[in-house]
Amino acid sequence: MKLYEFQAKSVFQEFGIVTPKSKLVSKDQIDVSLDDIGYPCVIKAQVLSGGRGKRGLIALVKDEKSAGSEMKRIFDAEPSMKYVLIEEAISISQEIYISITVDAPSGQAVILASESGGVEIETLAVEHPEKIIKEHIDLRYGLLPHQARHMAYQMHLSTQTTKEMIQIIIKLYDIFIKYDAELVEINPLFLTKSDQLVAGDGKIMIDDNSLFRQTRFAQTEADYSSEAAYEASLEGIPFIQFDGDIGLMCAGAGLTTTVYDLIHYEGGTVANYLEFGGPNYKKAVKAMEICLKVPSKVILIVTFGTIARADVMAQGIVDAIEKLNPDRPIVTCIRGTNEIEAVNILKSAGLTPLFDTEEAVKMACKLAKGGKL
Amino acid sequence: MSIFIDRTTRVCVQGITGSEGSFWTEHMKNLGTNVVCGVTPGKEGQTIQGVPVYHSIKNALKHHAIDATMLFVPPKLNKDAVFEALDAGIKKIVTIADGIPLHDMMIIRTRALDEHAFVVGGNTSGVISPHEAMMGSFPHWIERVYKKGSIGVMTRSGSLTNEVTAMIVKSGYGVSSLIGVGGDPVPGARFAEFLPLFEADPQTKAVVIIGELGGTMEEEVADMILKHKFTKPLVAFLGGRTAPKGQKMGHAGAIITGGKGSVQHKIEVLEHAGAKVADRPSRVGILLEQLGVSKDE
Repeated sequence: MKLYEFQAKSVFQEFGIVTPKSKLVSKDQIDVSLDDIGYPCVIKAQVLSGGRGKRGLIALVKDEKSAGSEMKRIFDAEPSMKYVLIEEAISISQEIYISITVDAPSGQAVILASESGGVEIETLAVEHPEKIIKEHIDLRYGLLPHQARHMAYQMHLSTQTTKEMIQIIIKLYDIFIKYDAELVEINPLFLTKSDQLVAGDGKIMIDDNSLFRQTRFAQTEADYSSEAAYEASLEGIPFIQFDGDIGLMCAGAGLTTTVYDLIHYEGGTVANYLEFGGPNYKKAVKAMEICLKVPSKVILIVTFGTIARADVMAQGIVDAIEKLNPDRPIVTCIRGTNEIEAVNILKSAGLTPLFDTEEAVKMACKLAKGGKL
Repeated sequence: MSIFIDRTTRVCVQGITGSEGSFWTEHMKNLGTNVVCGVTPGKEGQTIQGVPVYHSIKNALKHHAIDATMLFVPPKLNKDAVFEALDAGIKKIVTIADGIPLHDMMIIRTRALDEHAFVVGGNTSGVISPHEAMMGSFPHWIERVYKKGSIGVMTRSGSLTNEVTAMIVKSGYGVSSLIGVGGDPVPGARFAEFLPLFEADPQTKAVVIIGELGGTMEEEVADMILKHKFTKPLVAFLGGRTAPKGQKMGHAGAIITGGKGSVQHKIEVLEHAGAKVADRPSRVGILLEQLGVSKDE
């Protein structure tokens, strides 16, 4: 789970990392006074996607009038956005990069830092990898002070700033551990003209498998893009909505991405992905109910289950069709444990079960284009 | 022959008294797996599917020799259960749990590397050598998927594995051993680490890897081929070519992988190393044939 910038910065503040003076403003408060922040100040859209600067979602404003109009413009550009973050503008002498993430091959955490941070950091990493400082951390021992010191000494900062940098590295690691993070990143970390380190941005991603023990930033309905997405989350069903024609009920991320590829090879488009496998295989009625809330022309069900038994899924689909009376065609390709029984269940309910994924995809694409069963 | 397990491998089942543990222990035994004991704290003295149950691995070791252990243990309890096995000196561990916390998996991975142990999983169906033995939850009785043969399979996925393996069988091949390393971002064991085992296995004539976007495991496989540490024919199927770009993981993900991880990059490096890459499951068998791998039937 990704946190918004303002959430990440509230965590930074609690750990003693300095952030700019700021104020969170919601859509209905855009005429609020910003005198306590002062001008010039920066308006930053609170969205989870990156590249805000390039998309015009960050604005530097000099006075109250332009602040109001820029806030309105940014809220209009992102209709589902709840907040903008207003921050004092800071005079900076340097932008630094610092993050902690996961190095999968070693199983260790890795701290990455560079004295040249900012939006071009990825280019720098490719063209001048030697300018990225790396330090691997064994989670069993944690970050040792000598590791934080060694990193900070390589960054060519003043004596005082080096000491501050060491503290920031230690605090970032503490945040990484406390929040079961996949990523904690400050880019840029400003070095101000008065030689202070201030977090210019903040990213924290919490591991989804750890959310049972990380409840502080639990999401509410307003955090979801649609009613269907919210309902799926309440059921614990992974769900993603797109804007194509074919509603997908698939089992397993790997099979789903493959079906997604096959649909695109056939010239089709996907309306939504709903995870029908794993612990959800007995939830056919709920799953189909959610799928039917998404505009689509056909629902395609592809599974190849082991623990998720084919006959149970097939019976669930039959029950769901009976109960929900769907207004669009359903294509099924349900295989795996007890697959023969599954075929019989679907047939006796009057359906035409398919057994080959590519054939099922072709059928769904044909129906989506207005063809007949 | 097979890799990782065969009929002589003495297997312990942790979490044997749970419904999953008991159900799959029966199937593991039906296939021929040598399940010698089970462990569930508080249940010592019981017998499940004819297998004696102990409170702990240390207690079980007083009565049995154990070569490998299979975990049917909830995600939250996995780190403890894996450590119990490692503490007892067991070097082959398979855990199927989906939802193991990332930091727990990181510590498990680091420790497994230190101790030269294989921890296969989590988020996997496990390991199977058809008609021989399995540690995990495979519908081994579905002959059109789990047919014995000469193709080694490694996979990051569950249901997609059934899909691809069914196509391998349909093309006239069978499977020597199948290793599910699992779909988590930090698996306990990685593709490249099994290649030397497949290389040494006389039953395996070629290897199929079932990968997907993200991570660098497929790149590590290409590297093993380039370094001549794996010399048999290799075909990869990779899902996620048309996947919409996910929300980026800050800059750190891109910096650490240096631009690796996309399906396109994986295809380039695998083909450069001499492997073939299938764009759909039905192509895997055709590519095996193109590489000159003779059919099993």
